Amino acid sequence: MTSASPQAASLIRRLTRGDHKALGEFYDLYAGLVNGLAVRILRDRAEAEDTVQEVFVQVWQQAARFDPSRGTPEAWLCTMARTRALDRLRKRSSRREEPELENAGSTEPPRAEEALAVRKALESLPADQRKALELAYYEGLTQSEIAERLSEPLGTVKTRIRTAMIRLRGVLGPSS
Amino acid sequence: MNEERLLELVPLAALGALDGEERAAFEAALASSPAAQRELQAYQELVGRLGLATAPSQPSAALRERLLRETRPAAPRRDWLAPALAAGLVAALAGLLFFRSERDAARREAAALEAAAQEARETAQKAHAEAVALRESLAGELAFRELVSYPETRVVSLAGLAAAPSARARVVWHAGRGEAVLVAFGLAPAPAGKAYELWIIAKAAPVPAGVFQVDAQGRVVFRLPAGLEFAGVRTFAVTVEPEGGTPAPTGPMVLAGAVS
Repeated sequence: MTSASPQAASLIRRLTRGDHKALGEFYDLYAGLVNGLAVRILRDRAEAEDTVQEVFVQVWQQAARFDPSRGTPEAWLCTMARTRALDRLRKRSSRREEPELENAGSTEPPRAEEALAVRKALESLPADQRKALELAYYEGLTQSEIAERLSEPLGTVKTRIRTAMIRLRGVLGPSS
Repeated sequence: MNEERLLELVPLAALGALDGEERAAFEAALASSPAAQRELQAYQELVGRLGLATAPSQPSAALRERLLRETRPAAPRRDWLAPALAAGLVAALAGLLFFRSERDAARREAAALEAAAQEARETAQKAHAEAVALRESLAGELAFRELVSYPETRVVSLAGLAAAPSARARVVWHAGRGEAVLVAFGLAPAPAGKAYELWIIAKAAPVPAGVFQVDAQGRVVFRLPAGLEFAGVRTFAVTVEPEGGTPAPTGPMVLAGAVS
């Protein structure tokens, strides 16, 4: 568990009641996380900020939908951020080239215990598994697209990803 | 797709990495496998947590302002004041319309009452006139019955003349009592402003013996005014005269009867 979660639960309760001040506090707590993920996926600060805006508007409108039994607020936010960022990525890929990789402020260290654990778990994966997983996670590629990108057989890619996921689950365990 | 195969695909499905026919087959089979659904939920949560591995990166300060501005609930004062004013205006208008409608309704009611009163007055006047006519008619009939019971009472028939060929009448009179009654049938109602006038003709000029009207069926039982002199009467005649009556006949004669 992250140290921020009890505070997050309280903020989500206030958001559910329509407490607008709570949105500012929630944003202060998680904007960096959401933006970091959006920048990592989109590699474009302006598009990342649009994504961050969309995610927090969704939080404001749908705080009542947050179900603590299905994961932490951080996981919830990351899922929303990834889904929206990958949507933008797909729309973009049909009309322009991938932008230059820019420095996305990634010098900032992960601030929470669990973030560190996740990062360590990912780093512990064999490079080929990690590569396949990252293509699925950050670029939203499907198993066939990954096989094509890596010039590997589809079955091999599927096995790598599945093995990586099972391993991560074993290392990280349930979130709560 | 068997359950073992389904469960193998769950980690890939949680990442959204399945595609093509395999994805369709997975989604179709998932609905009937609670175990796969539980596994999928667990892996989806894991996928959510993977985002934590990314280095946080603060967005620009302007973004916070933009978010709070776009999600800010409408300011309470403005939010409350305009609807309150609008509600007040609506209430005032509704009140005005209500009073206007009440006032119009009252006016209509008063007009209706006035019309009803007028109608009642006219009805009463009409009833009164009818009552008077009936009373006169009844008095005439009672007088007629009494008159015919006396042996001295005499009767004369009057025939319709050229102006009223279908008219017929009788006059019964008791010279000693100075009483007489005219019973007539077949007379057309007199024209507007006109009436029938009875004349007693003896040796000298005709003497007026009363003014009368007939009913809608052309009938009348008319009791002659008291105090008339019947001695030496030779003829009874009826003429059409102004409704107030005249001292001497001026209009056309409709009935006449000679006393034998």
